[in-house]
Amino acid sequence: MTDTSHIRNFCIVAHIDHGKSTLADRLLELTHAVAERDMREQYLDKMDLERERGITIKAQAVRLSHETGGRTYELNLIDTPGHVDFTYEVSRSLAACEGVVLLVDAAQGIEAQTLANYHLARDAGLTIIPALNKIDLPQADPDEAAAELGRLMGWDPDDVFRVSAKTGVGVTDLLEAVIARVPPPEGLPDGPLRALIFDSSFDPYRGVVANLRVVDGVLPSRSKIHLMAANLNSEAEEAGVFAPEATPVPELGPGEVGYLITGMKDVHLVKVGDTITLAGKHRAKLSLPGYREPRPMVWSGLFPAEGGDYGSLRDALDKLKLSDSALHYEPETSQALGFGFRCGFLGLLHMDIVKERLEREFGLELIATAPNVEFHVVRGEEITVVHNPSEMPQPGTYDFVREPVVLATVITPSEFLGPVLELCQSRRGQMLDMRYLSPERAEVHYLLPLAEIIFDFFDQLKSRTRGYASLDYEPWGYEKADVVRVDVLLHGEPVDAFSSVVHRAKAYQYGRAMVERLRELIPRQLFDVAIQATIGSRIVARETVKAKRKDVLAKCYGGDITRKRKLLEQQKKGKARLRRVGKVDVPQEAFIAALRVDQRSGTKQ
Amino acid sequence: MSAGIYVHVPFCLTRCGYCDFNAYAGLDHLRSRYVRALLREAELVAPAWVEEEIVSVFLGGGTPTTLEVVDLKALLAHLRERFDVVPDAEVTIEANPDTLDGAKLEGLLGAGYTRLSMGAQSFDLRVLAALERIHRPDAVRRAVREARAAGYANLSLDLIYGAHGETLESWERTLRETIGLGPEHVSAYALTIEPSTPLGRKVQAGLLPAPDPDLQADMFELACELLGEAGYGHYEVSNWAKSGFECLHNLGYWERRPYVGLGAGAHSYRDDRRWWNVRPPEMYTERVEAGHVPVGGEERLEPSDAYLEEVFLRLRILEGVPASWVEAQKAEPFLESGLLEDRDGALVPTERGMLLLNELVLALVG
Repeated sequence: MTDTSHIRNFCIVAHIDHGKSTLADRLLELTHAVAERDMREQYLDKMDLERERGITIKAQAVRLSHETGGRTYELNLIDTPGHVDFTYEVSRSLAACEGVVLLVDAAQGIEAQTLANYHLARDAGLTIIPALNKIDLPQADPDEAAAELGRLMGWDPDDVFRVSAKTGVGVTDLLEAVIARVPPPEGLPDGPLRALIFDSSFDPYRGVVANLRVVDGVLPSRSKIHLMAANLNSEAEEAGVFAPEATPVPELGPGEVGYLITGMKDVHLVKVGDTITLAGKHRAKLSLPGYREPRPMVWSGLFPAEGGDYGSLRDALDKLKLSDSALHYEPETSQALGFGFRCGFLGLLHMDIVKERLEREFGLELIATAPNVEFHVVRGEEITVVHNPSEMPQPGTYDFVREPVVLATVITPSEFLGPVLELCQSRRGQMLDMRYLSPERAEVHYLLPLAEIIFDFFDQLKSRTRGYASLDYEPWGYEKADVVRVDVLLHGEPVDAFSSVVHRAKAYQYGRAMVERLRELIPRQLFDVAIQATIGSRIVARETVKAKRKDVLAKCYGGDITRKRKLLEQQKKGKARLRRVGKVDVPQEAFIAALRVDQRSGTKQ
Repeated sequence: MSAGIYVHVPFCLTRCGYCDFNAYAGLDHLRSRYVRALLREAELVAPAWVEEEIVSVFLGGGTPTTLEVVDLKALLAHLRERFDVVPDAEVTIEANPDTLDGAKLEGLLGAGYTRLSMGAQSFDLRVLAALERIHRPDAVRRAVREARAAGYANLSLDLIYGAHGETLESWERTLRETIGLGPEHVSAYALTIEPSTPLGRKVQAGLLPAPDPDLQADMFELACELLGEAGYGHYEVSNWAKSGFECLHNLGYWERRPYVGLGAGAHSYRDDRRWWNVRPPEMYTERVEAGHVPVGGEERLEPSDAYLEEVFLRLRILEGVPASWVEAQKAEPFLESGLLEDRDGALVPTERGMLLLNELVLALVG
């Protein structure tokens, strides 16, 4: 147990690609935490998926030890998730620290996420050490970036550290500054144990592992623990620290950061933000503040492309959920797509990661319906939560609907401010404020329906600003929304997978786009196929796929017969991959393409 | 059992843009060796066919009329000598109008080639250009006149519809002109773009649109109408004939009678076995000269393959499939929608059904 005065707990907060993982690598080297021969890039991002995407999904803490001025310090570097989907997890990681290094790419300048995390850190009362990274790059403009940081956060530009995580320049000074400036933790060594869980994960051999920060008291390696929010007891098996490999310790004292093998088997019971105390009479009375249930924000139906893979999909989701406590799923039956699951995600990135892992790690081929948000349908006193557009009641059967709204922060070069404002306005945005960070860059805050954000907002933002704008958002609440359900009918049969809940003003446009798209995708049948978009009983768009008239091989003589028979056999195999909706045969690819377009085509034309 | 002989002649004056047959321009130096190889191959394979009565001989290509009359005459005489060719066998030769003149036509008829099948394709110059054909519409008119003068009483014209730029009106003029020339037999094919052809490459590269299947369907219906009115019977998807002039040789393929193929790439069939010669003419001649049967591959038809072929070929020639072969509920929707009709217990495609024959076959067999 280290004396608290020798402990420094800190995070690095940075926008994606601003070099956080590389800086962590340098710190590991500098403190000799990893033997030179074992060093590899992005050391802390253990999962393959993370390494390729260059982002961190799971927060982790690593203990470093550094000697300076004749004293040895225990430094706990807490890694934070770097994406907007995981804001709550970031806030818990920050709650485990006393200081942050705010890392900014010297060529890119401040981005929306940097700013959002800066605000989180400042609101949490943390010491902030600003640093510019990538000063070795030819296009880096450290003076301008430092001036921007100074203007925004009220620092003297000379106080901004300048490093290159890649080459190591300036990293020692930065480390010394962490020790000098970040205050040591304050906690009650003799008080009842209170430890904050800032991450949890599932190890197939050891069960649920919690990453935690001891705030008050002492956590012995083996102890009977109590989870205060979950209201559960367990026999913890081992406490330890990541240095950076897992290393058991006899106990974790106040201010220390480490892991605990909780003795529990279900990761969902060990939630980020919960407080661990000891079971029995030493139990703490008050839990640590800030606990929140992780709530899925984005929903989508996942269906196996091959109907027979339903069991495999269920098994895969069960396995995935062991290590991903934010993932929700429930069985769903679609007339068009068969048996599958309605899944809830923290955001679009989380959704993409889950889909990719299901396909890559479990070898599944999936059809995903267009993502949607959660709607609250209000009828008198009664509120129905709807996760699936096809379950949205028909207009007239309820009083009103509420939809989730987020507070969005966009930072953009000033020259693109017009197009950005136009985009936000067209997405039913409500501007809160706007300011110039410098003559060249502006920051705007909007309240935006989440449904608009998940409808290709980010792509549109990037394309209107040549990739320069950045976006961050956080949940704001639920607000009344004039939304309606648009259904798509094939030959008179509604196709549940194509139903969507959209704002009334865009319902016609959506229906039109969907129907036109499907007309291109649905192959001609032996009869005319009507494709209709409807709101309630009203048809808002209609197209027809004309009946196929010609499908015959023109010539068939002695030398052709074998080849033509093979062509017929091929055609027969193709038919086996069709899904039947009522009387209409729809190829798998049509579903995939139509659902993808649904997500991307938002405001095209 | 009655059988047919097919002889493949792979030489052409030029290569047409749509053609993916085993045919070559600029291979004339091989001609006399090739003819000798045909004679030799006939000797090699004839013993296996002594049991069969040959009711038809068909010289196809390529352009068989690129060969000299004297060679063609010797070839047919040789076939009659080696095989049991019945005296009144149907003997067809395919011709390109540019290779014909009065003397050649008299020679061919005298040699015993009593049925002449000519590639007319279209009477619209623009359509011929789109097909990359070298002859002009006049050449067909002249060749038909000269064939009649030479004494030909069994003429067939081949037409192709749906080339880029061809309209329904242009196709109607081609049909009416064809009917005006009065051939005994007409074949009309919807242009099919084969990927390995010059046209196929242009379509793939986006330089040419693919034929519009709906327009081709309209053209098919127009052909049915006009040829029907003019007294031609529609006896196969793409073939019409005056009564008694149906092509016996081709019917042999569709009725699954045996046939022996001679020449480069030619296919043979008997007793659910199909085999074929090597395709390159040089390789073919070398094999034969070395005294080998020039077979390049074969397949044995499984009962399910044979059944599939039986069904789709029967549907093509409007003989139809006995209703008892097919589960009633499979045929029902097509009878109702008018793609099939029940003719004395046989399921026969209607005109509309013929255009959707692949769908019918897959639904009835699948």
